[in-house]
Amino acid sequence: MLVKPQRFIALGAIATSAALLLSACSGGGTDDKKDDSASSLTVWVDAERIDALKAAAADYTTESGVKVNLVSKDVSTTKDDFLQQAPTGKGPDIIMGAHDWAGELVTNGVISPIELGDKAADFSDVALRAATYEGKVYQLPYAVENIAILRNTALAAETTPATWDDMIAAGKAAGTKYPFVVEQKADGDPYHLAPFAASFGASIFGVDADGGYDPNNLILGDAEGVAFAQWLSKVGAEGIISPEIDGDIAKQAFLDGESPYWLTGPWNVSAATDAGITVAVDPIPSAGGQPANPFAGVKGFYINSESKNAVAANDFLVNYLGTNEVQKELAAVGSVLPALTEAATEAGADPIIAGFTAAGKNAIPMPAVPAMGAVWQYWGIAETEILNGSEPVARWAKLASDVQAAIDADKK
Amino acid sequence: MNTHQPDTEHPDSAAASAPEPERKKSVQLRRMAEQAGGGIGPLILKIVLLGLFDALGVFAVLLIVQAQNWFMLVVVAAIIVFFNWVYLRPGATPAKYLAPGFAFLIIFQLFVVVYTGYIGFTNYGTGHNGSKDQAISSLLASGQERVEDSASYPVTVLQQGDTLGLLVTEADGTVKYGDAEHPLDEVNDAEMDGDTATGRPGFDTLTFADILTVQDTLTELAVPLSDDPNDGSLRTSDGRQAFVYVSNLVYDEEADTLTNTETGVVYTASAEGTFQSENGKNLYPGWNVTVGFDNFAKAIGEESIRGPLLSVTVWTFVFAVISVATTFFLGLFMAIVFNNDRMRGRKMYRALVILPYAFPAFLSAMIWAGLLSKSYGFINQVLFFGAEIPWLTDPMLAKFSVLAVNLWLGFPYMFLVTMGALQSIPDELQEAATVDGARPWQIFRLIKLPLLLVSVTPLLIASFAFNFNNFNIIYMLTGGGPRFEDADANIGATDILISMVYKVAFTGQTRDYGLASVFSILIFIIVTIVTVISFKRTKALEDIN
Amino acid sequence: MTTTLNPETPVARPAVAPRSARSRRLRRLWRDTGWRHLVGIAVVIYAIFPILYVLSAAFNPNGTLTGSNALFSEVGFDSFARILNNPDQPFAAWFANTVIIGGVTALLTVFLGAMAAYAFSRMRFSGRRMGLLTLLLVQMFPQLLAVVAIFLLMSSIGDIFPALGLNTKTGLIMVYMGGALGVNTYLMYGFFNTIPVSIDEAAKIDGAGHTRIFFTIILRLVLPILVVVGLLAFITSTNEYVIASVMLTDPENKTLAVGLYQLVSNPRYADWSAFSAGAVMSALPVVIIFVALQKYIVGGLTAGSVK
Repeated sequence: MLVKPQRFIALGAIATSAALLLSACSGGGTDDKKDDSASSLTVWVDAERIDALKAAAADYTTESGVKVNLVSKDVSTTKDDFLQQAPTGKGPDIIMGAHDWAGELVTNGVISPIELGDKAADFSDVALRAATYEGKVYQLPYAVENIAILRNTALAAETTPATWDDMIAAGKAAGTKYPFVVEQKADGDPYHLAPFAASFGASIFGVDADGGYDPNNLILGDAEGVAFAQWLSKVGAEGIISPEIDGDIAKQAFLDGESPYWLTGPWNVSAATDAGITVAVDPIPSAGGQPANPFAGVKGFYINSESKNAVAANDFLVNYLGTNEVQKELAAVGSVLPALTEAATEAGADPIIAGFTAAGKNAIPMPAVPAMGAVWQYWGIAETEILNGSEPVARWAKLASDVQAAIDADKK
Repeated sequence: MNTHQPDTEHPDSAAASAPEPERKKSVQLRRMAEQAGGGIGPLILKIVLLGLFDALGVFAVLLIVQAQNWFMLVVVAAIIVFFNWVYLRPGATPAKYLAPGFAFLIIFQLFVVVYTGYIGFTNYGTGHNGSKDQAISSLLASGQERVEDSASYPVTVLQQGDTLGLLVTEADGTVKYGDAEHPLDEVNDAEMDGDTATGRPGFDTLTFADILTVQDTLTELAVPLSDDPNDGSLRTSDGRQAFVYVSNLVYDEEADTLTNTETGVVYTASAEGTFQSENGKNLYPGWNVTVGFDNFAKAIGEESIRGPLLSVTVWTFVFAVISVATTFFLGLFMAIVFNNDRMRGRKMYRALVILPYAFPAFLSAMIWAGLLSKSYGFINQVLFFGAEIPWLTDPMLAKFSVLAVNLWLGFPYMFLVTMGALQSIPDELQEAATVDGARPWQIFRLIKLPLLLVSVTPLLIASFAFNFNNFNIIYMLTGGGPRFEDADANIGATDILISMVYKVAFTGQTRDYGLASVFSILIFIIVTIVTVISFKRTKALEDIN
Repeated sequence: MTTTLNPETPVARPAVAPRSARSRRLRRLWRDTGWRHLVGIAVVIYAIFPILYVLSAAFNPNGTLTGSNALFSEVGFDSFARILNNPDQPFAAWFANTVIIGGVTALLTVFLGAMAAYAFSRMRFSGRRMGLLTLLLVQMFPQLLAVVAIFLLMSSIGDIFPALGLNTKTGLIMVYMGGALGVNTYLMYGFFNTIPVSIDEAAKIDGAGHTRIFFTIILRLVLPILVVVGLLAFITSTNEYVIASVMLTDPENKTLAVGLYQLVSNPRYADWSAFSAGAVMSALPVVIIFVALQKYIVGGLTAGSVK
């Protein structure tokens, strides 16, 4: 067949110019509407929580006249993007983020302190402690999260046993493919194993007088830590906890009724209920005799230190998102435990939220020191290697020295 | 792009051994050539386009002058003048064709290179993220300490002229007013709403909407409680409530020092871009400064990459070369297989083969990681009947897996390219050779491949460079693992140079952009040397035709 | 996976021919196209079986991506409805953005690239070799810090021309134009070199200027490679994530790559089935365009005219 290239090229030229015109128009159009920045706030929000905030943001606009422009961001790049953009003055006014970002954000001078005033007393202890970095509040806490045992009531009617061995026995008795699942990945997931470490009395840092972690007191390599490492080696050999079981496999196993117990967080509850599974939430069984306390993670909001709308930003966070009414509303939409005590008590009427609260009763916030990034990494790799059969005692000692080196390097 | 020879000289390379076109075809081409003579249309089009460009250019210049960005003015003016010069003067034909593309190239790609080079000479990174002013204001803000157990004051913001002040109602009903210059003092003329003071004659009471227009001034406003600075001052962050703060840090502009008023320690601005005390303690945030060749020294002296450097470099070359070779040959092979008019369904085959390229690469990498999972992956479970083959956790197999997945991701590209490039090989050549009794393999190796290589060799070199820096596939599939057991940093068997560098410069929460850009430059030098050498050797290839 | 059975397969025909002739024909058929089908099927399986996971996840209303090897255990269209009807994820707008950005980028890339390739192939000037080498070398620079640089550049351009700055399609297209030359130009340059110069000369004798030769002769003869380059540019820009994610922040301005990635960026909340449904739909333009343009690639003027 013979092509008619002239027509083809002419068409291309027309299409190009039309499309250019189109894109130029639409480009110009979007810019017009957001120029009155004097009374608008740009807020970066995790993509999966933007729904919960939509109504609250709209209400605040009606109430105060300040337009709130919610931008959904990919949680894994939010922090780096913010660090790059904030110093240019082009960053958002507010970002949503985990409490353990505070150390890095403060070191880079991109966030400003938030004065909670008398409201501080209304926040739960764990939330307030998490929001505080080096004696100052930098984050307005919004939700407290921790992991717990999700139980498929059709497979295990009884409350989850209080010890690991009993739970595994009960899980095996249920006759499913797995007695219990917890997600891991190739380079480890210490967050999900931390409760078991805690049940041996093992931790990364010692606890200071206020009950928070003391980054100057590394106790990772102590006898309790080694005991945990040996336990890990044992369950790894038994194949109960495996680095091969990633988030997807663990989730699918539970959804398919292949495991009665799943150690996970509130974020996975809706997936289970959507799949038609009746779930109950129980505290985490102890493997080493002491309580198996998970880490607490606190989600909240930070204010850009270069924000040109600092007053509006403070007002939106402290006087609006920090009120019981709004936090209750947010809890209802996002099924999370509010950071305000009163709202939390009310939300606690929900058995699922109550279950997570009970499991995280003594949860301590993850440390926020900048060196934590390196700590997580080394910790995860060491645990994976032990699960895969490395000699636990020596491997754990190497972990302790790696982490110490990372922290020392950070102090320089 | 300077020119001194207009287009009178003919490219010898293309003319040298052009195949004698068939008679019918040459008649057709001659007809095309006849159609191509003369015409005023293009000239008008050119003038219209240039006029449009100039109009936009003038508009842009006006906007830039308004914004007083003189550097950009120079750049934009230079571009406008250059384009007019190129297109209005006779001759300089190559420049007419090259100018638009190179303009974009220079603005958007060379800028990245230059910027990266510049960063290499600064300490930009964690703790040195912004300017000195930003660091000072941030330090001063966190130096504001709320006075313990002090009350909170409901406040009303008043304005008189340009001065903002705070009207305070204390718990016992006393009403006080003060501004930045005047400490809080009792006032008697306040307008009251119940127990709360809401205004004062001669002052404007600011509503929340008014406050939003003066946010910068209000957040700076500190109203002293009394004449004694140690009593602290009132500040408000939302225009509704104020608290008493004392400042822990005082900045002395003359001496360029910060003084901690509690401990008396003086922090002096240092050459490293931080405020530093005498015993070497730094205050963070600092700011970014140029540090000369420090980053180069750091990169060369970096201990953690010493051990694995050799094996990582070797693997990087192996990975890049094998990736190019496998994707090219599979792509080419498929292009040839489907290049047969008698083959039914070849259009559908082609469309299906292109699919891996149509899906987002990060998605494909995630799926492959799942497929290759040791105990649960499809490949082990279904294809190998449940054997636990450690595809991603054994060093050798992980390397193999990375190559296999990269082949999957890359061959459709080569398929497309070679499919197009094969069209430049005249069918007559093949037909002639077939008549002469040459076997298909001989035809391919002796005739098609050399001709094809003329057009695709530069592409193979570019593909080599791309894979040399193919951070994404490594990062998404194995994260560089399995880790070398003896390495200090988290470096593993499938790490290539760029992913190793990433891990060293961006460990945990520490981002060292200065170090990263120096590594970028060093890697660039390596790739450039390899490229220039291979490019020199292609000169011979270029002239075959 | 579907494959068409070749209707010419002799098995499907009544065996009327004598035995020896039949086996000879079989052998010829095998040597001619039979082996091609075999190879084609094998490679198609290799190419599409990971994609089956995406399809399976897309049709499974609440599935994970790789959690199970039981493909297509459940089939429904919930996830398609979910991704199309969520006002926070304006999928249709993303789709339109992607097609506009990809389309304009592709057309401009072809145009700018072809112009440059023409100059490099047909003209000799000082700095030619240098220019070619520069094109190649710029591509090799590790782009580790590109995003930081481009964000700075675009934010200062946007200060003065909001219509070209961050969060605009035009701005993003301009950034993509930075890569319009480079590899693509090389591809076209190589192809241009195979067009005999005698054609240019004939036209020149007839009084045609370089513009006319370029537009009316050269561009027609190199159509296959123009289509290939256009397709490559289209695919590259539609799959580009890093720069687009930093430049386009408003939900309605995003491209598919950015919007979809954010659906699964937090693995804890990831909605894989909606994501997969979106990915399947987002692959459609590429496939449709490829199918539509295929004939221009393999049946270009050169090949067509001789037959």
